[in-house]
Amino acid sequence: MDIEVRDLHKSFGTKEVLKGLSFTARGGEAFGLLGRNGAGKTTTIRIMMGVFPSDGGTVLADGQPIDYRKVGFGYLPEERGLYPKREITEQLVYFARLKGLTRDAAAREVARWLDRLEMGEYAKKKLEVLSKGNQQKIQLITAVAHDPDVIILDEPFSGLDPVNAMLLKDVVREEIDRGKAVIFSSHQMSYVEEFCHSVCILNGGVAAVSGNLMEIKRAQRASKLRVRGECAGQLADLFGGTAQEDCVILNYDSEDGRLELMKAAARLGADEISVVEPTLNDIFVAATSEGV
Amino acid sequence: MKQFTTILGFEFMNYLRNKAFIFTTVVMAAVIGIVLMFPRFASAAEIDISELGGEEGVMALETDVPGVKEAFTAAFPDYSLVTDMDIGEGIRSGAVQCGFKVESLEKFSYFVADVELYDSNYAIASDVLREMYRTDRLSRLGVSPEEVGQVMSFVPEGSVTSTGVDRTKNFLYTYIMVMALYMVIVIYGQMVASNVASEKASRAMELLVTSADPIAMMFGKVIASGLAGLTQLLAVFGSGFLFYNLSRGDWAGNELVASLFDIPAELLLYMVVFFILGFFVYAFLFGAVGSMVSKLEDVSTATMPLMMVFVAVYMIVIVSLSSGGIDNPLMFVCSFIPLTSPMAMFARIAMTTVPLWEKAVSVVLLVGGVIAAGFAAAKIYRVGVLMYGTKPTPKAIWKALTQK
Repeated sequence: MDIEVRDLHKSFGTKEVLKGLSFTARGGEAFGLLGRNGAGKTTTIRIMMGVFPSDGGTVLADGQPIDYRKVGFGYLPEERGLYPKREITEQLVYFARLKGLTRDAAAREVARWLDRLEMGEYAKKKLEVLSKGNQQKIQLITAVAHDPDVIILDEPFSGLDPVNAMLLKDVVREEIDRGKAVIFSSHQMSYVEEFCHSVCILNGGVAAVSGNLMEIKRAQRASKLRVRGECAGQLADLFGGTAQEDCVILNYDSEDGRLELMKAAARLGADEISVVEPTLNDIFVAATSEGV
Repeated sequence: MKQFTTILGFEFMNYLRNKAFIFTTVVMAAVIGIVLMFPRFASAAEIDISELGGEEGVMALETDVPGVKEAFTAAFPDYSLVTDMDIGEGIRSGAVQCGFKVESLEKFSYFVADVELYDSNYAIASDVLREMYRTDRLSRLGVSPEEVGQVMSFVPEGSVTSTGVDRTKNFLYTYIMVMALYMVIVIYGQMVASNVASEKASRAMELLVTSADPIAMMFGKVIASGLAGLTQLLAVFGSGFLFYNLSRGDWAGNELVASLFDIPAELLLYMVVFFILGFFVYAFLFGAVGSMVSKLEDVSTATMPLMMVFVAVYMIVIVSLSSGGIDNPLMFVCSFIPLTSPMAMFARIAMTTVPLWEKAVSVVLLVGGVIAAGFAAAKIYRVGVLMYGTKPTPKAIWKALTQK
């Protein structure tokens, strides 16, 4: 299922948080909703999920105005927290039932997910006995157990050890493969870069950058070529540029210039020739350095 | 609706699994059971309860007037009389509790260490001496002692027919019901407020607002707490009723206890109606207040204004009840306002005759009040739960209420 927000506006008092935000998150893909602290990510998520209305604009599901009775959302909020004093299975079943599952289906799914996330042994324990990272895994179950169409994960990797992060990655990939639209909101750019097909960088209440991540990167290429090999020093002397060990960054000013550089590097026996692409981090910093 | 029942079940179990809840319920039921079964235990242990509390005292009497000692001995069966003691000395040393100095039939003094709230000794002595004085004077006028006796002991024949309610009988359970309503609202109202606030503090709210409809949430929570309260009351009063019936025979002589379990069915119905509606009006408001605070510590401060209103109502009703003047204008007005009517109208129905239309208007207004409070609470809740750090100003509350 594709989720599209179109021209969202929202103000709190005199503060205008969203000033015409638009983006589309497609089913079977991961989408990165990025922005600095206070940019309006959580507000956007809450409007998408129908927690409160926007002042203007629409949320569309597969091109139609969204019907919250039909579109299921799974949500892992950045501010985690469940019922510390209640039994894990009991509260997970409760949340799954609130999302529309029957008691039996909820119990079955919760048990399956506890096993999937290697938490089966804690099923009957109170939540408060778990470590922070394990509590987060439990909370993830509230976002996926009811098999939602759209999964929104806000900083899903914070606080997870590398093994658990790997487990979560596998789970997210499975869900994407099952055709879910997965929306990431995170400041950990490496994860977003790894997963997200498209991104939207919020700044000043609008999408400063939005679209396919590869296309964005290509568009923001800085006309630089990176060459690795023994010829690095030689190339630096020929075309200008600074070599570091066996690497050199060369500037070009046109497509012809780039091809010429690549040919020269190939002739001299370079091991690796690549166009320098900005990282998501670079793109983010460039897009959000002015205003919030 | 499905969400509502899910929430109701989850929240209700929350109370039933609470160890403090179970403990207080069991202890209260047990205490009531033990008190009501006391006559049984007592008779098994051969203690005569009628003797309890009426311990014998010693009274000093200083008099030269003939006949006074005999008359006082008859009039004060609970005291043993001593005549050869200085009254002041006796009271100081604790040998006697009180004493009378009768100089003549026209003049006497009463000495006592502490005047108790219901000390009737003075009045009894006064009656005794007055009767002796009258008998004495009449016999001097030539009336025979038999005639004097007849005249003095004459009582006109009469009877009391009450077409309304008997306040003397209803007073106790009206008092208990008002008291019970007060306690249940204070305890459970705070519980609802803390319950909502703790979800906010633990941030479970972040997930809840995206999972459940605020109206289902608010009604589910409040009705669950109402059911928990009713369960507790049923356990306590049920145990009272059970144990009273088990030892009914032993309480036969005790009108106070008997009147407590002898509530007319109609009044019981009104009690249940006002109790339930009154509970919900307050529980919804407490829930709304709970959703406006960010931290659990702030709950008691935030609920203060609501609590003040409630305590004021309670005071008005209790003072009106114990002064006997239940039909005052204040009580009349209070018996129609939804926040005050549960206590005020019930007290009026129990203690006086209230026209049917007044009862009907009061109940209708109260039902309307409950529904209005429920929806207002849900609206405040929806906005309040996402407010962190900001103070719940009247302006913010108004905005929450009027927002679409």
